[in-house]
Amino acid sequence: MKSQTTKFLKVNLTILLILCIVIFSFLAFFMTTKNSETISKIGNLYMTGMSERIAMHFETIVNYQISLVEDIVTAFPPGSEDQRYQLSYAAQARGFKSLGFYSLNGTFDILYGENISVIDPEPFSQSISEGNAKIAVGSDDNGNHLALIGIPANYQMSNGETGSALVAAISIEYLEQLLALDEDDSIIYSHVIRKDGTFVIRSGGAFRENYFSRMKNLFDESEQDKAEKYIAELRKAIENGDNYSAILPLKGDFRHLYCVKLHSSEWYMITVMPYGTLDEIISGLSSQWIVMVLGSCIIILTALILIFIRYFKLNQQQLHMVEEAREEAIHANKAKSEFLSNMSHDIRTPMNAIVGMTAIASANINNPQQVTNCLKKITLSSKHLLGLINDVLDMSKIESGKMTLNIDHVSLQEVMDSIVSIVQPQMKAKDHKFNVIIYDIITENVYCDSVRLNQVLLNLLSNAIKFTPKGGSIQISLHQHESPLGDDYVQVHLHVKDNGIGMSEEFQAQVFESFAREDRTRVHRTEGTGLGMAITKYIVDTMNGTIEINSEQGKGTEVHITLDMEKATIDEVDMILPNWNVLVVDDDVQLCESTISSLEAIGINADWTLSGEEAVKIVYEQHQKHNDYHIILMDWKLPGMNGIETSREIRKLFQSDTPILLISAYDWSEIEEEAREAGVSGFISKPLFKSTLFYGLKQYVAHESTKEPIVNPANKPIDFRGKNVLVAEDNDLNWEIAEELLSELDLKLERAENGEMCLDMFKKSEIGYYAAILMDIRMPIMTGYEAAEAIRALDREDKDLPIIAMTADAFSEDIQKCLKCGMNAHIAKPIDVRDVARQLEKYMK
Amino acid sequence: MNLQECYTAIEGDYDDVINRLRSERLVQKFILKFLDDGSYDLLLKSLEEENYEDAFRASHTIKGVCQNLSLPKLMDSSAKLTEVLRSGWKPEAAELVEQVKRDYEQTVSVIRKFQEGL
Repeated sequence: MKSQTTKFLKVNLTILLILCIVIFSFLAFFMTTKNSETISKIGNLYMTGMSERIAMHFETIVNYQISLVEDIVTAFPPGSEDQRYQLSYAAQARGFKSLGFYSLNGTFDILYGENISVIDPEPFSQSISEGNAKIAVGSDDNGNHLALIGIPANYQMSNGETGSALVAAISIEYLEQLLALDEDDSIIYSHVIRKDGTFVIRSGGAFRENYFSRMKNLFDESEQDKAEKYIAELRKAIENGDNYSAILPLKGDFRHLYCVKLHSSEWYMITVMPYGTLDEIISGLSSQWIVMVLGSCIIILTALILIFIRYFKLNQQQLHMVEEAREEAIHANKAKSEFLSNMSHDIRTPMNAIVGMTAIASANINNPQQVTNCLKKITLSSKHLLGLINDVLDMSKIESGKMTLNIDHVSLQEVMDSIVSIVQPQMKAKDHKFNVIIYDIITENVYCDSVRLNQVLLNLLSNAIKFTPKGGSIQISLHQHESPLGDDYVQVHLHVKDNGIGMSEEFQAQVFESFAREDRTRVHRTEGTGLGMAITKYIVDTMNGTIEINSEQGKGTEVHITLDMEKATIDEVDMILPNWNVLVVDDDVQLCESTISSLEAIGINADWTLSGEEAVKIVYEQHQKHNDYHIILMDWKLPGMNGIETSREIRKLFQSDTPILLISAYDWSEIEEEAREAGVSGFISKPLFKSTLFYGLKQYVAHESTKEPIVNPANKPIDFRGKNVLVAEDNDLNWEIAEELLSELDLKLERAENGEMCLDMFKKSEIGYYAAILMDIRMPIMTGYEAAEAIRALDREDKDLPIIAMTADAFSEDIQKCLKCGMNAHIAKPIDVRDVARQLEKYMK
Repeated sequence: MNLQECYTAIEGDYDDVINRLRSERLVQKFILKFLDDGSYDLLLKSLEEENYEDAFRASHTIKGVCQNLSLPKLMDSSAKLTEVLRSGWKPEAAELVEQVKRDYEQTVSVIRKFQEGL
């Protein structure tokens, strides 16, 4: 394709070049030819005119001379007196050299001057006899040529004869001078010749006697036949009395020759003009023309070549691009094929498990344990398969540009909580040390696509889990900065860090490509599709965020995601807790400070310390000062004494109801029992957002705890018929309400107006008479606490009957105290019959 | 004035109380009994005698009654007073006592009006 185009271009260029050269050469040639033609035409016209002018000039002179002689004849006609003397005198005055009478037989009667004779007397005599004046060449005694002018006149000659003419002689030189034909600087020269070619007047350096032989001599020897041709033509023209014009090519030069007959003589005038001068000027023009033509030709050719080169390059570029696109397409296609083969392998693995396990289950349909086992494995494989398919779907969405973000109000706290709870089991399975750190939180509520954000974090965490060997550590941290986008935004930084196998630099370069997987020598068992990071990158890009990877083989990987999110305006005024004193124990200073600022934001005073040992000391000191902490938040994993041991220590030191909450990023179900025994009151899960702290601590405000969902609705029939229940309630109104409401349960209620009465009535009753006691706390004479303690202290079989507190007290301390005094449960006022029924049912047998 | 209007006037939670006590008759019966409840008198008396333990208990009882009758306004002020009196007299209690008095008088006057209208 490429060479074909090149060839096509080259051939075309060559053809164009040749065409161009041919056209311009033709133009040059044509113009040159036309030029010479025009020149000969111009030359001819010009030369003819010139020759005629010269001939006319010559004739005028001759005619003048003739008229001079005629004047003499007219002045002194034959027969006049003293005729010879008078004639001689007139002639001499007019400058004639000789004068004589001429008879037709050729004799002269000389009046003065030298003897003269006519060289060719015959035509001369003939003209005379015909009565015409005539000029002819003659000679004197010394052989000098003369021009003889004869006028017919019958003078009496000295020998007695009657002459036919008066003849006057002038020197040829004189004629020549008059004609001025022999000037050196003139480029034109003329000869006067006779019919036979002999010169009458010669000029231009001619030395031969005959013009024809001169002509012959002017031609090269090789061109003698040409010379003969021209001579023949000239002779013929002379014979016929025509004018003759010709251009003679002479030794690389051109000469224009023009021949015209002179009147009153047998002479012919030949005018010659060297053609070269004219030709030189014209050919100068012509060569200029050729130069111009060639110049234009070269310019046009250059332009053409440039255009061709440019076009050629463009063409090459296009071809290159096409080639690149083709290679890209091939690459993508190859990647897809590879992906398909990977996929089919990865899909087949769980499919095999599902098919196989289904078969096993069918074969063991009567063995429930086996079937359960099979179903468990099938579930796992199905989930894996579903994950694969979801990834592929996501990728295809991305590739077709259909993936859009679903921006909504998101609580980062919820996102982190759900992430932590999802990955916890996997972390636990691989025994990873997992840490969640948040700090510098500006706002928990932002606008974001929570599903996609979850996806990104899950993908990064599952990669960390996958590529971190057992016992490694993984950390996810979240912190916020002010966003460059303005006050309405917040910049969220997410780090996922592990100390796993890391990635090679080569792989880091292509980790975001679809279907990329690290070489299989290091990663033996691949899970997933190799699409995770491509999807992650795409999601982060769509969120206008950045993702950076910092990894070293064998040392671990850190992924850093930066996202600018819009702050959500959520009313957080409600998140206020009583002005408690709280102690935070954690070995991470940053986490401590962050937690404390969050606590202060919800209205709690907080101190912090870095170790369990220190915490025990501080708590004790505060206790001594009667300024106990309301709540202690303690990290489970502490250096030295851990959270559980610290709690145990604190509980050992002194009796207190202060709730101790363990902070943990782990599923605490396994340590719960141990922790509870050590005196830990509850757990709070990392990360400690403001809202996590608020909702975690709020339950210790008893008033709030009553709003728990009702598990057992009242419409469920509970059979309390005929049961005797003792109600200790000092206030009449409250008693009436209780009686009214509880009558619904068909209980037999008896009232005690204070704690003491309650105790007495119980003491006096038969064993097992009362099924339960509902106890108000704040009563005169004896409080509910005291009454309950007293009842529990009795020596009766039924002293362990259910005692349920009914109080308007809101704080957990009261609940704790109720339980400590031996009561079974606590119901907050207002009395809700469903609550009472639930508690009674729970504790009555 | 009907019962619901009465509740609205004393800023009570009518829906809540009906939901719990199930009948208008009972609500009416108890709300009228509220007028006869001695806790308020006990509170005033014990405060006068500087018997803060009784004052605490009386305040506590008012709170409990209010909870039962879904009267959040008086319940709030009495609850605050209860918390302050829990550990004896504190200077800020005086202000709270005044608040409880205001709320109680207002509640009682509305209920009386309701009673007269029957």
